[in-house]
Amino acid sequence: MRCRCLWGVARCLWLRRPAGSPRRYRSCGSPLLEELFAHGGPLRTFLERQATSEPEVRVRGRDLVAAAQRLSDKERELRETEHLLRDENEDLRKLAENEITLYQKEITQLKNQIFLLLVPSEETDANDLILEVTAGVGGQEAMLFTSEIFNMYQQYASFKRWHFETLDYFPSEIGGLRHASASIGGSGAYRLMRFEGGVHRVQRVPKTEKQGRVHTSTMTVAVLPQPTEINLVINPKDLRIDTKRASGAGGQHVNTTDSAVRIVHLPTGIVSECQQERSQLKNREMAMKKLRARLYSMQLEEETSKRYQARKIQIGTKGRSEKIRTYNYPQNRITDHRINKSFHHLETFMHGEDLLEELMQSLKDYADYESLIESISSQN
Amino acid sequence: MALWGRMLWSFLSGPGRRGGTQGRAFSSWLPHRPPAGLLNATELVSHWTAVFEKRGIPEARESSEYIVAHVLGAKTFQSLKPVLWTQPLTSWQLQYIQELSSRRLRRMPVQYILGEWDFQGLTLKMAPPVFIPRPETEELVEWVLEEVTQRPGLAGAKGGPLILEVGCGSGAVSLSLLSQLPQSQVIAVDKGEAAICLTRENAQRLQLQDRIRIVPLDVTLEGSWAQLLLWGPMDLIVSNPPYIFHQDMEQLAPEIRSFEDPLALDGGEEGMDIITHILALAPQVLKHSGSIFLEVDPRHPELVSSWLESRPDLSLHLVAVRKDFCGRLQAVTGLLSCLFRPRFLHIQRSGPQRDCPVDARPGPQPTSVPY
Repeated sequence: MRCRCLWGVARCLWLRRPAGSPRRYRSCGSPLLEELFAHGGPLRTFLERQATSEPEVRVRGRDLVAAAQRLSDKERELRETEHLLRDENEDLRKLAENEITLYQKEITQLKNQIFLLLVPSEETDANDLILEVTAGVGGQEAMLFTSEIFNMYQQYASFKRWHFETLDYFPSEIGGLRHASASIGGSGAYRLMRFEGGVHRVQRVPKTEKQGRVHTSTMTVAVLPQPTEINLVINPKDLRIDTKRASGAGGQHVNTTDSAVRIVHLPTGIVSECQQERSQLKNREMAMKKLRARLYSMQLEEETSKRYQARKIQIGTKGRSEKIRTYNYPQNRITDHRINKSFHHLETFMHGEDLLEELMQSLKDYADYESLIESISSQN
Repeated sequence: MALWGRMLWSFLSGPGRRGGTQGRAFSSWLPHRPPAGLLNATELVSHWTAVFEKRGIPEARESSEYIVAHVLGAKTFQSLKPVLWTQPLTSWQLQYIQELSSRRLRRMPVQYILGEWDFQGLTLKMAPPVFIPRPETEELVEWVLEEVTQRPGLAGAKGGPLILEVGCGSGAVSLSLLSQLPQSQVIAVDKGEAAICLTRENAQRLQLQDRIRIVPLDVTLEGSWAQLLLWGPMDLIVSNPPYIFHQDMEQLAPEIRSFEDPLALDGGEEGMDIITHILALAPQVLKHSGSIFLEVDPRHPELVSSWLESRPDLSLHLVAVRKDFCGRLQAVTGLLSCLFRPRFLHIQRSGPQRDCPVDARPGPQPTSVPY
């Protein structure tokens, strides 16, 4: 119960903060950080408890306690220096002002440090990912939009200098996209991309519309962490690999060009297919990659569903059915419904560069914030 | 208009054009020309699929998809950018598709029509009559790679194995091993001149020519192996030898029978002719406890095993048999039945080594080969 209250309060504070770059709120003493560190607030209580508890019951390491200690020292010194501002000696007042600026800078740094120490790390933080896009409601228009979104992520990957490999691609007749998936790898890829999963909605006059009416269509994005060899072990006996090779003797006796591969994971019934490549072996590797990502995200969901249930930013299956973002062309606006944040310049946004990056960063910051509040609340 | 198109085409399809037209003159008769107005990729695929189906060409859809994708610069239709699906094609693209498709109507294998195909991660040039690598052989390579990485003994003393491939064809096996084993060196032999040339060309295209020796050699000739001794004992022998039983040759599809070199397919009465030559040669060139990896017919594991028992002098032992694609299901008379085909053999040498100069690794290529 208390947790829910805390989240509610935190969320209000966060959403009420003044508009501006979301990246700035942690780096230069934003109101959010100030609120988080308010005297008498839950974080203070938590830090005090950490400092006074015996070393063996401390939840976090020595770093946190040390940083909290330095923070309270600096705050005390700051308060003491503030008295000097009322001193009669002008030189002394000037000196005090300089000192105070330095203290404030240091305090902000310490708060940031504590924030980062407290955000729990996830098993999947360093993983690569599989991106899946699927057209939703809206026929050909939805497929056109799906293709644009897929391109946006592809451009974003190259903007971030990440590795991007299309695993499969099912276009529609008029140049849209029914479904596609890609493997994306690079530093921090999953940490940023994981908040893209969900239903994306587009409002605009479709190219196919003759009477100029605005339509609403949807597409779905799924972001699955790519497991490492250690994260997930699959028993080969659980797999059925189908290829369309001719029956009979095979080998030199036949010459087939159909290289499509279909893998079924028997215990779960999950099917993964690939016909992107001319080499059957390559197709098999790609299908396997997708299958592993799906199985892994199922495994993760089971482990974490309880933890994530209360969160506003969902990842995994639960998040996939949630409408997360609207692309409104008549108003030239993108709105992310989870953090109620809007951006303009839709076309620039779709280039998959700074604007998309900014939104992803906001989401990540907010999620970090939520998980921090959550971790404090469960330990207070 | 048609004349103009033809002139344009003959101009564009001059010698050396992509796809390897083999200097074949442009066919003046253009059958099955798509009706006017059918101008985008999707429609052309449907058109040619229908034509191929009507004429009983196997893999009708796949064939037309590969041809259209190739002309549009992609490997598969699925990997084509969606814009290209609906974009009108230029007249030379239409002509090119027309020409390639008419070759398919003559049952030419798609790999020869495109003039290239993929094997493992490599794109290789394909040209008739050199044998087209099959997907099963990718698994043979996988197995060799697994064994080399798991058993350091196989990798040889100098960090990477020295590998002999018998019957290199297009170079698929040798070149994929070289590209994935950066320390390895390969001696690739084949008796066909076309194969030797194609392997050499593929090696150069992939910039792997420095670690491969390509030698024209017929392993069935007495004493032919002697020249291999120059390069010292091999760590591994790999081969996808001709293994089709002679009486099965008649039943092969026209794509194989009329276009691929029968010498790369026909293994004699029991498909064992070349296999036994390789096994007989192996102890001469293989280092002690070296390995042989072979792709064979599903009937061969037993035959090879009993043949080896009859030749204890070779000191070779069949240590493992592997099936191709495990757990493959196919619809047979409405029921799903499992087909496992024993396909790959691992044979190991034991016992003392004979007549083998120790540690003579490939140096500079000898100018003349002593016999």
